[in-house]
Amino acid sequence: MTFQVIPMKISDLANNTGEWLRGTGAESDIVISSRIRLARNVARFPFLSRTNIKQKKELEEIVRNKIKEAEITSDIHYINLADIDPIERLFLVERHLISREHAGGEGERGVAFGKSETISLMVNEEDHLRIQVIRSGFELKEAWKTIDGVDNKLEKKLTYAYSSRFGYLTACPTNVGTGMRASVMLHLPALGMTHHIEKVFNAVMKLGLVVRGLYGEGTQVSGDLYQISNQFTLGKSEQEIIEIIESVIPRITSYERMARKALIAESREQLEDRIWRSYGMLKVARMISSEEIMHLLSQVRMGVNLGIINTIEIKTLNELFILTLPGHLQKLEGRELNAQQRNIIRAAYVRKRLEEI
Amino acid sequence: MKCESCNKKHATVHLTEIIGSTKKERHLCDECAQGVNTQLAKIPSPTEILTSLINQVAPEISEMSKIVCPVCGLSYLEFRSNGRLGCPMDYTIFRKGLVPLLEKMHGSTQHVGKVPSKAGKELIKKSELMQLRNELNKAVEKEDYEKAAELRDRIYDLSGDTNED
Repeated sequence: MTFQVIPMKISDLANNTGEWLRGTGAESDIVISSRIRLARNVARFPFLSRTNIKQKKELEEIVRNKIKEAEITSDIHYINLADIDPIERLFLVERHLISREHAGGEGERGVAFGKSETISLMVNEEDHLRIQVIRSGFELKEAWKTIDGVDNKLEKKLTYAYSSRFGYLTACPTNVGTGMRASVMLHLPALGMTHHIEKVFNAVMKLGLVVRGLYGEGTQVSGDLYQISNQFTLGKSEQEIIEIIESVIPRITSYERMARKALIAESREQLEDRIWRSYGMLKVARMISSEEIMHLLSQVRMGVNLGIINTIEIKTLNELFILTLPGHLQKLEGRELNAQQRNIIRAAYVRKRLEEI
Repeated sequence: MKCESCNKKHATVHLTEIIGSTKKERHLCDECAQGVNTQLAKIPSPTEILTSLINQVAPEISEMSKIVCPVCGLSYLEFRSNGRLGCPMDYTIFRKGLVPLLEKMHGSTQHVGKVPSKAGKELIKKSELMQLRNELNKAVEKEDYEKAAELRDRIYDLSGDTNED
């Protein structure tokens, strides 16, 4: 059992991405990833908004040590967020290892994650502990199995704040009960292009689910990437919540496939032109903004799914969505970059990656 | 700007009086302002205005507004203004205000789902029973009687050893 409490080198991660981007698993042409997180708090401690510096430090120590003792995976690393700089924190946000709130927080807090980046454990985020599991493709049930197991191991070491009436007690009452947020990230370019996406949102909201952008709450949708997740956490079991999401996803993916077919049937030339132009842009452009690259990658990704382009792997495109984000570019370059510098380096990086193919 | 009454201290209170069509401005220091205008006292403070507004919008708050958690020191009003609870005990202390809020947020106020093993075997059994009963209701709704019978047997088995039901 190795457990590195000493901060690992974040730059070691910069050239790779987590396993959840490899483009495998059910429906992975449209479903990028499935993610579940559980919010947990340690009994007999206040929630973080009411802890003093000493209690917060104590909590960080307790939870960090219990994660270590619980032997969750053999290769878990721990990073204290107070020890790293803002670019590195942004880098971890972009990889979905920590939340934006966690990155922007204060004081003693950290994250533990395995080498495959499938499991991550945030210490002292909004709650004392947030466990997260991400898997490639449409694999919510498998993600639940994994996270349930991790939670069981931790629960043997930690006494959670729990009541039989309200379930797992959380700092924000919107998470109380199961403390679970299950979400599925979808790539829906054709529904966007044909303006049918609103219909999907309305149907999803009627089921008590919410639609969000790539980085969760309050983030803008870009690259036609959407996250669908549960809003309610109380009154339904974890399995029931997962079943509700699982029941709606195949309907959305088949709707997206229908929209793609319709686009091909009605305007094949225009669609192909759009996709090839996007591909060309990625191969030749000298400056690309983060907004533009999301759009270009989205178009090319659909082109690969439709067999229009067959020289690039889905995995490469999934990775490029993350590797070309500001934190990653700055980490790769090893220095702080302004927007223009990033645009130049982003374009160069993508050109290089596409030349390798 | 010096206070126009004592002419010594810095003027921090700026009053505008409008009588008929004439407008009169006065610039006073804290002390003089208190002595000069007794009418000021009659103007409700922002907190009072807020409380009266809250009373109209969310009556539960006025009833709960005096409650402060003895464990973490959070008041119910603070909770309602920033949406975050201070400690696990708040769920008990603020229960009366929380229950309708939870109902609105989740459409339910009773946890169904995972129970930590430390919470005790009885509790786990209770929760399992609750889930099975839920499933049973669903099976009956769907007229899946085969599944319903199976669930019924499982409920009997489970509740049998506790003499519950």
